Amino acid sequence: MLEIRGHARGGQGMVTAFEILAKMFSHLGDFQVQAFPAFGVERTGAPIQAFLRVAKKEILNRSNIYHPHLIAIFDESLLDMVPVFDGLKDQGAVLINTEKPRSAFDLPGKTIYTIPATRISLENGLGSKSLPIVNAAMIGAIGYLFEADLDVLQETIRGNVPSKPQANAKAAVTAYNSVLGEALPNPYLHDRLHNPGDEETGAYQYSEQTEPIIGIDAPFWAMPLSKNKTGNWRVVTPRYVDRRPPCNHNCPAGTDVRRFVKLAGEKKFAEAFETLYEHNPFPGVCGRVCPHFCEQQCNRNDFDESVNIGAIERFLGDQALNYPVLPSPVTQPEKIAVIGSGPAGLTAALRLCEKGYEVTVFEALPQAGGMMRSGIPKFRLPDAVLDLEIKRIEQKGVKIETKRRVSIGELSSRFSTVITAVGSHIGARLLLDGEDELSLDGITFLREFKLSGNEAGIAKGDRIAIIGGGNTAVDVARTALRLGAEAVIYYRRTMAEMPAIAQEVEEALAEGVQIRFLTAPAGLKKNSQGQIELSLIDMELGEPDSSGRRKPIPVEGSESTVIVQKVIKAIGQRFDEYAFDGMALKPRQGRIEYAGETPVFCAGDMAWGGTVTEAIGSGNKVAEEVHALLQGLQYHPEEILPDIVLPKDINFAYYMPIPKHRGVSKHPKDLHGNFEELSLGLRETDIHAESIRCLHCGDCYNCGNCFNFCPDAAIHLDEDGRLRIDYDYCKGCGICAEECPCNAIEFTLTEIAS
Amino acid sequence: MKTEAPTHSQSILKGNFATAEAARLCRVGFIPAYPITPQTTIVERLSDMVSKGEMDATYVNMDSEHSAFAAAMGAALAGERVFTATAGQGLFYAHEVLHAIAHFRLPIVIANVGRPSIPWNIWSDQSDSLAQRDTGWIQFYGESSQEVLDTVIQSYLLAEQLNIPVMVVLDAFYQSHTSENVWVPDQDLVDEFLPPKKPGPMSIDMENPKAFGGLVPPEHYNKLNYTFWRDAIQVEERAEQIAADYARMFGREYHNVEAINIGPQTRLVLVTVSSITTTARGVIRKYPDVGLLKIRLFKPFPKASVQEALRELPKDAIIAPVERNFLGDREGALFQEMQRALYGAPYRMYDFYAGAGGKDVPPETIEKIIHIARNNPQDVNWVDIA
Repeated sequence: MLEIRGHARGGQGMVTAFEILAKMFSHLGDFQVQAFPAFGVERTGAPIQAFLRVAKKEILNRSNIYHPHLIAIFDESLLDMVPVFDGLKDQGAVLINTEKPRSAFDLPGKTIYTIPATRISLENGLGSKSLPIVNAAMIGAIGYLFEADLDVLQETIRGNVPSKPQANAKAAVTAYNSVLGEALPNPYLHDRLHNPGDEETGAYQYSEQTEPIIGIDAPFWAMPLSKNKTGNWRVVTPRYVDRRPPCNHNCPAGTDVRRFVKLAGEKKFAEAFETLYEHNPFPGVCGRVCPHFCEQQCNRNDFDESVNIGAIERFLGDQALNYPVLPSPVTQPEKIAVIGSGPAGLTAALRLCEKGYEVTVFEALPQAGGMMRSGIPKFRLPDAVLDLEIKRIEQKGVKIETKRRVSIGELSSRFSTVITAVGSHIGARLLLDGEDELSLDGITFLREFKLSGNEAGIAKGDRIAIIGGGNTAVDVARTALRLGAEAVIYYRRTMAEMPAIAQEVEEALAEGVQIRFLTAPAGLKKNSQGQIELSLIDMELGEPDSSGRRKPIPVEGSESTVIVQKVIKAIGQRFDEYAFDGMALKPRQGRIEYAGETPVFCAGDMAWGGTVTEAIGSGNKVAEEVHALLQGLQYHPEEILPDIVLPKDINFAYYMPIPKHRGVSKHPKDLHGNFEELSLGLRETDIHAESIRCLHCGDCYNCGNCFNFCPDAAIHLDEDGRLRIDYDYCKGCGICAEECPCNAIEFTLTEIAS
Repeated sequence: MKTEAPTHSQSILKGNFATAEAARLCRVGFIPAYPITPQTTIVERLSDMVSKGEMDATYVNMDSEHSAFAAAMGAALAGERVFTATAGQGLFYAHEVLHAIAHFRLPIVIANVGRPSIPWNIWSDQSDSLAQRDTGWIQFYGESSQEVLDTVIQSYLLAEQLNIPVMVVLDAFYQSHTSENVWVPDQDLVDEFLPPKKPGPMSIDMENPKAFGGLVPPEHYNKLNYTFWRDAIQVEERAEQIAADYARMFGREYHNVEAINIGPQTRLVLVTVSSITTTARGVIRKYPDVGLLKIRLFKPFPKASVQEALRELPKDAIIAPVERNFLGDREGALFQEMQRALYGAPYRMYDFYAGAGGKDVPPETIEKIIHIARNNPQDVNWVDIA
C-alpha cells in the first residue's frame, strides 16, 4: 500500500486534489483507493491535511496517515508552522511547492522533489497571489512522481475540477514537466505502489503500566481549551492599522492632511492648526496659492468630488491670529544663517529655531517672503496674510534682516552653517533679436509692481502679449488686466500641458484673460507707430520630450503677426548665483559641496520644485539634515513606502454623497484698478460640513461598522473610546475588515491555529 | 469484495455522494432538506441531481430539521418515498418528530452522519444516533461508502415491508468525506430489487378521508404499541432475508452482524461498528486469537445474530466493545446492548471508550485495546486520553 499525506491551507484545493488523485490512480490500474481530509478548522488559510491510500488489495485502515511514504507540501509557509515532515518513512520522499533549490531543505536521507506550483498556477490564472489555487499543479507533480499517463491525468482533472478545466489541465501538464529531483522511477515509491509485498506492521509497543486515568489534565468549561478563550478558530487576524492616505502622501510639505481635516471636522480648530503648522508655517498662504496635490489625489474624486482641503487649510491659517506664539529659547550653541526669506528659507529657519538654534535670515529685498512676496499678486495673496505668518516666525525667535544681499563667504566666519534658499527670481530669455529692448521680464514686472507699484507703463486699453504657460504668465496677465489692459497669453502647447495651476487658469479666463494655444513668438520689432510687432508661428505637438510633455514643433508657413503695446515673457526662471560668491554651482536639495569649512545647504525653488508647498517641504527636510549634522547624527530622509489607500480600498457604499462646499467669491463687473482678493473662502459652518466629507482613508474614525458587524461581539471601545478587537473572542472571520469603510483594518495571514 | 459486475459501474465516491446516489437509485420522490456539517454534501448533491433532472423528486429547503422531518412525515403520509439526511444537532432537534414518524409507522429512510452535540464538535461520533435508539427507528451502521449505498437500498425494502422507518448511519469524515472505490448498481437492477412504493396502511386516500394524529385513548394505546412490537421483533430476521436477496442480485453480502475470526481459537473478541471495524480487520491479522464482531444492525439489537456469531467462542473468552459514543452512563451503548444480548453467558466483558468526537483510532489504538483487555483491564477503560 502507498500512503501519501498532503499539507496545505484551506482554500488551495488540496482536498479536491486528493480526490482527483484517487480517481486518477483508479483509472491507471486496478487499485483500491481511499482519499480523505483531516479538517481542523475548515476555513480559508487554515492549515489542513489530506490523506491518500492506494493499494492493490482491500485497504484495511480508516485512520489518518502517520507514516507516509510521500509527503506533498502545497504551501511552503507551513514548513515553519506545522511539523509537516513528522513520521515520514525512512526511505520516503517529499514534494515541496517552492522556488528554492532542493539543497535549501535539510532532510537527511530523504528524497526531495520540488515544483514551482504557485508560479505555474498563477501563470494559468488559478487563484490569487495571496492564495494561489495550486491543486492542479500539485496533481501534475504527484502524477509525474508515479509516471502517470498524462492523458489520464488531464482527463481526470478536466472532469473533476469545479471550474477552469482547461487551465487546470494545462497547469498540471506544465507541473508534470517541471518537477526537479532525482530521476524516475523512484524505486521506493514505485515499489510501494506496484510491488508492495508485505505491509509493514504496526509500531505499537505494549507497556505493563496501566494508563493513569486519575490526574489527567482534563479541560473544563471554566478553563479555556486554548490560548484563545473561544477556541482556536482564528487563522487570519484582523488588526487596526494606520495606512497612508493619498492626501498625506501627495503633500510635498509632508502635512498630515487627514488629521487636520479630521480635527476640523470635530471643530477642534486650534488642534487642527497645530497639526497643520507642524509641517507648514504658511497655511494661510498655501490655503490660497497651493495647487493642492492632496485634493487632486483625494479618493473622494472617485465618489463625488474631492474634499475642499484648500479651503479648510486657508480657514485654519486665518485662525492663527487667535493663537499666541511662545518664543523658542535658544539652547544650542550653533548659529545658523539662511540666505533668502522665501517659504523654504523661513520654514528651515523656523524648524531650526524650534530646535533651539539661533537663526538669522538674510533677505536682499526690502520685505521678507521671497516669491510669496514678490511673485504672487495681492489679489491672490493679500499682504496681511503673509505678514501674519512671517510675524509668527519672527515671534518664535527667527531674526530676519532685509535689504541684506549677502553671500556665503560673507557669512561663513560668523555662522556654523549656511542654508541658501534664494529662489528663482531671474526670468529666462526668449533668445530673439531685440528681446531686451522690446520685451519685459514677467517675474521682474510682478516684483516691481508689487514692491514699488511700478506699472511698467501699462495703460488702459493697451494690448499686452504674455509669452508662457506657467503661473507667472497667468499672474502677469491677471495683473495687466487689472491695470486696464487687454491681456493675451501665447502658449506653445495646449491647455492640458500648461504648468500653471488649473484653477488659476480657469479664473484668469473667467476674468477675461485670453489664451492662444499652440503658438510661439518668432520675432519682435518696433513699427513706425512705436508699437511692437510680434511675429508668431503655429505649433503642433510631436513626440513627448524629456519633461514627458509632447514637444511643440513649428508648422511651416503658419507665421502671423500681432500688434501689441507690450510683450512680457514668462517662460521660466532660474536662480540668482549671488550667494555663491561667483562660483558655478548646481544647487540640489540638502548639503552641497562647498569650499571652506562651513557646511552649506541648499533648499527651495533653486533645489527642488516650483510651488510654495514644495519649497516648504524642502525647508523642513533641510532643517532636519542641518540638525542631524550639528548633532553629529546620521541623516536619513524618511523613507516613504508607496503603500497608500486607493479608491479600490474604500467601501463607498458607507458614505453619503455630499456636494463639495466651494466657497464664496466676489465677481466685480470691472477689475480695473481692483487688486482685492476675490475668493473669500468658506464660512466656519461650511468648514465643519466640508471637513466631515473626509473619507478617513486608512484611519479608523470610530464609525462603528466593525462593532456592529462583528458576529462574536469581539469589538469594543477601550477606555480612550477607540474601537479595539478582543482577540480572545475574535474568530478571524474578517467581516470587520470587509465592512470597514476606510481600509483601516488589515486582514493578513499572520497567525495560525495551534 | 466483488470486483466484476456487468450491472454496475465503478466510481470513486465520497460516502456522502454514495448516499445521495442510493437515494436517487431508490427513486425517492420527496426530499425535505436542511444543511448541517458533515451531512451537507448529501443534500447538496441531491439538490444538484434534482435541479439537473437526474432524478424526479421534489426538493424542499426547510427552515430547520424539526420542520424537515415534519415535512418528511407529511409527504410519507401522502404516499411518497421520502429521503432526508442530517447529523448531530439536527437529529437531536428532530427528536420529537422521530417518535411521531416511527409510531405513525411511516417507512421513511434517512442518512445520519454521526457527530456529537455538546461539547460542540463536528467530527466522528455515534452519540447522536445512539441517543435516538429508543425512538422506534431501525438503525444500520455502515462500514464503507459501498455498504452505506447498499444499505440504503435494502432499507427502503425493509421499511416499506414493516412500516418502520430506518436510519442509516455513517461516520463523519472517515466515511462522509472519504473518496473510495464504489460499485454503483444500474437503475434496472435496483428497480428489480425495490418495487415502486405501494400505498401503505397510513397513506392518505382521497376517496376515503380520515383523520391522522388524533388522541389515542388508553384502550387503544397499548394495542398500537403491541402491533409495533410484533413488527419490530421481525426486523432482525427480515433484514437478514433482504440482505440475502440483495447478495444474490447484487453480488455483495451483508449480515446483521459479521463475525471475523471467531471460533474455538479465539480468546478475545473486539466489538465494533462503522469505520473502526475496517482498521480492526487489519490489526487482528497480526493476532490469530483475536476475533472481531461487527454490528451492522444496531436497532432493534440483533440478539439472535450475536449469539449465533459467538456460538463457538470459548466460555473463558473476553469481549471488548469499542465505543465511539458517550451517553452519560457508566458503560457505552455497545456494552449495554451486548450485555443484554448475552445475559447469562459466561464471557468476561470489558468496555473501551475510544475515538469519541473524531479522535483518530489508528491501528496502534486497536492494539492497545487488545493488550489492555488481555492483561490488565478495568470494567470500563478510557483509551488514548492521557
